[in-house]
Order: sequence, then C-alpha cells, then structure tokens
Amino acid sequence: MACNLINKKITKQLILYFILLALWQILVSLKIWPQYLLPSPAKVCATLAEGFKNHTFLIGIMISFKRLLIGFGISIFCGAALGVFLLKYKIIDEALSGLILGLQTLPSICWFPLAIIWFNLSEWAIIFVIIAGSLFSITMATSTAFKNVPPIYIKAGRNMGARGVTLLRKVIIPAAIPSLLIGLRQSWSFAWRSLMAGELLFNSLGLGYLLYMGRELNDMSMVLAVMLVIAAISITIDRWIFGELEAKIRLKYGL
Amino acid sequence: MPILKVDIKSKSFLVDRVNLVVLENINFQIEKGEFLCVIGPSGCGKTTLLNIIAGLDLSYEGYVLHQEQLIKGSDAHRLLIFQEMGLFPWLTVKENIEFGLKLKRMDKKEIENISSKYLEMVNLAKFKNSFIHELSGGMKQRVALARALAMNPDILLMDEPFSSLDAQARDILHSELQKIWAVTKKTIIFITHNVREAVCLGDRILVLSSAPGARVKATFSVNLPRPRQIESDGVIENVKLIKKVLDSEIEKYYGMQFNK
Ligand SMILES: Nc1ncnc2c1ncn2[C@@H]1O[C@H](COP(=O)(O)OP(=O)(O)O)[C@@H](O)[C@H]1O
Ligand SMILES: [Mg+2]
Repeated sequence: MACNLINKKITKQLILYFILLALWQILVSLKIWPQYLLPSPAKVCATLAEGFKNHTFLIGIMISFKRLLIGFGISIFCGAALGVFLLKYKIIDEALSGLILGLQTLPSICWFPLAIIWFNLSEWAIIFVIIAGSLFSITMATSTAFKNVPPIYIKAGRNMGARGVTLLRKVIIPAAIPSLLIGLRQSWSFAWRSLMAGELLFNSLGLGYLLYMGRELNDMSMVLAVMLVIAAISITIDRWIFGELEAKIRLKYGL
Repeated sequence: MPILKVDIKSKSFLVDRVNLVVLENINFQIEKGEFLCVIGPSGCGKTTLLNIIAGLDLSYEGYVLHQEQLIKGSDAHRLLIFQEMGLFPWLTVKENIEFGLKLKRMDKKEIENISSKYLEMVNLAKFKNSFIHELSGGMKQRVALARALAMNPDILLMDEPFSSLDAQARDILHSELQKIWAVTKKTIIFITHNVREAVCLGDRILVLSSAPGARVKATFSVNLPRPRQIESDGVIENVKLIKKVLDSEIEKYYGMQFNK
C-alpha cells in the first residue's frame, strides 16, 4: 500500500519533469533565441555524458570535495570549540554574540577580498572562504543546542549519579543531538555555497571553476550541465544524507 | 530512629537581586518505610523542598539529615520522580531503567536481572524495547518508577508524578504504587496538590502554607486500611475533614489525628 503510494508519487514527478523537458524543447524549436544562448535538452545531455566520460566532472567533484572536507572539517572543529567556549564563559558570550551573528549573516562574497589579500589566489583562499562561511553558523548552532537541553534531563542524570564528563557524554550530548544535527545541515549548506562561490575566484579546477570555464568558452550547454551536476549533489547530500538522518533521529526521539 | 530529619531554617532565591524567601522553618521527620504526602498550593516551594532533600540544592540555612548524615550532594540513595518524567527519549524503556545501574559499573548479568525484575513489577516487560514517546503518560510514569526502584534507593521523592495523567491512568497507578510500596517497603515522600490523592496514598500528610515563606501549616495522620481507593467512603470522609480544617484556620489543629 505504502509502496504503491510512493510509486504513484514518483510517477507524478517523472511526468512533471517530462513536461518541463518538453516545454524546454518546444521553446528551443521555436528558435526565439539562438542555440548558443539556449541549447536543446539533448545537447545538454550530450555535454553531461561527455563530461562524465572524459572524467572532467569527476575530477571537478573530487577536487571540490577535498576542499569541502578540509574547510568544513575545520569549521566543525573550531566552530564547535568556540560554541562550547561561549557556553562556558557567559560574559564573553554576551559581548560577542552580536558580532558572531553579524559574521554569520555576512554573505561569503564579502570574505573574498580578505581571503585574496591573506592567501593570494591559492587553495587556502578557497578553503578560507568555506571556513568563514560556515564556522560561525556551527558556533551558534552548538551554543543554542546545548543551551536548550531541558534542565530536567540534567537533573535526572545527576540524581542517578552522572557527573562531569559522564553527564556530558551520556545525557547532555544525546539530548542536544537533534538540534545539533539541524545546525550541521544548515552549516553544510553555507559551506557548500561558499565553496561554489570561492571556486569562481580563479583558475582553481573544481566544480565552480567548470562553470566559470563554460562561461569563458561561451559554452551554454556546459554551463547548464555543470549547474545540473551541482544541483544534483546539493539535493543528494541535503535530502538523502541529512534529511534521512534527521528523519531517523526525529522518529527515535519522538519529535 | 527516623530515616530523614528535615530542619530548614530558611531557603531563598536571589531573583533580580532581591532575596525571595521560599521556605521558612520547615521541620519534620520521616520514619523508615513511611509514606509521607506533602500538599501545598502551587509555587509554595514543594519542588524546592524535594531538590534540597535530593541534595541537588545545597544553598539553604538549616540541615537535612539522611540516617543522621548531613546531605552534601545528590546521590542514588534519594531518587526523584518528576511530573515531567525526565525519561531519556534517546534510550529505550530498558536502557532507561539500566541507565543508573550502568553508571555504577555493575555486572552485566546483574543489571539484566534487576531491569527485568522491575520491568515485571510495573507490568512493562512487553514494552522493554520501545522508545519513550511510544508510551502513554501512565506507562511513562511506570518506567520512571521502575528506573528509580532499580537503583534501590532508601527514599523515593515523587514530585506531583501523576498530575498530568487522566483520572483512569491515575487510579491504576494509585493502586500499583500502593502494591509496590507494600512489596518494596520503600520510604516515600509524595508531593501533590490534590488532597484526595494525598489521603489515598499517605500514612501522614504534611500541609505547607503558601509562598513566600512557606511553613508546615498542619500535619494529619491517615489510618485507613490499605489498599485504598480514591473514591472510597473512607477517603472522601477524611478529605472533607481535612478540607474543613484547612478552610477554617488551622494552626490549633496542628497534628490532629484522623481515624476511620
Ligand atoms: N531556580 C530558581 N530561581 C529563582 N526562583 C525559583 C527557582 N526555583 C524556584 N523558584 C521560585 O520558588 C518558588 C517555589 O517554586 P517551586 O518549589 O517550584 O514551587 P512548587 O513546586 O510548590 O510549585 C516559586 O515562586 C518559584 O518562582
Ligand atoms: Mg513543583
């Protein structure tokens, strides 16, 4: 029964996408715009296939993910540490919370000039932009997640003999997990967007640069193909990794 | 020798730099195996009193002695059961019950034995692998009870544990709690704002006056036979008497006895 419903939903979606493709094809056939401004779906598909066949896309993805792993990894580590630090020292928290919020809402493009002056047009400039784009979001998420742990869990844990690190590991962290995960998901999307922007900076290889190259070559089908790849990766990670994880946790915690 | 001696001269909270006195001259004792109910208007400091007895709050004037020892912190000899449960939603029923036992680094086999014993006692053996949100309110309170009993505390501190349950679930838990009390012979301090519940469960009832500066306004003994039911004539009669006393100014009736 449930399987049937899911099948129905998928069929509906497929039909919808098919209609969109058809509309696109019709628009192209009407020849309102020249092919180099609006290539046909078939042409984009061919570019997509070619890109995967000659490994440019795969190499781009790998280069991008290496940066992401380093940058987001540093963000998680330092951002969480800063968040915990703010939790411990309330005075600093009160003094800095406005600044951190401001830095978190700063669009990542604003970090470019600074990144280039400090790191030139290097690998580290891009990684720096990823870090700057996501670290403060992690900090905020960490500190709110721990602040919002219901005191009754801590009270119950202490009453049963949990203290210090044990209390942290067995009670406080598990209690904070759902909200930490939401923060991680959001920070990931900041990191991912910063990465794409950062890779447009210069001849950096990576996915963002493939987009840039498409523009340089005036190759619209290349631009569209790379955009599709980027969107597919965004959806896969957000929906299928974070989304599934969140659903599992929500089910378990009864949220 | 009483198991617990409470003599709190005063307990206050600093709220906006103003000292708010919550409890004043709270003075009572409790015998081993006794079922003591504490009633009082909401906000009078009942939860605060239990926190102090549990050892979670040490900033008060006076003393609380557990078996002649000054309480210097929270430990598993006095376990709290909350109205809002305080069960861990990330653990199953069984894992919740075993939480404190694992902290004690007990033998695995022993932990298993204890948890199944108390799962049986509260009739939840079938639900041992369920998560907390899958249970009804009454079942959750039974898990909380089992989790506390599993630690084998001297005193159970129950803070309005049944007040968010529907009447039917509450009736069932009243009879189960009396049974469990008869079997385990635990000392229980049970907080409620419901006089009928207090009469139904308690050997003795302590009435606190309203805040600020709540004191023990009166104590009553209830000598009805057990198990008691909340709508039984005896309970209703006692409730009427107590309410009359409470309504008609009271101090002189301090320590009055009721016999069926
Ligand atoms: N941590 C706290 N800080 C300040 N005031 C508190 C704190 N805990 C309780 N109070 C105050 O003490 C009074 C008694 O609270 P509580 O013991 O929870 O009452 P009860 O359980 O009888 O409803 C209330 O007025 C409450 O606002
Ligand atoms: Mg209370």
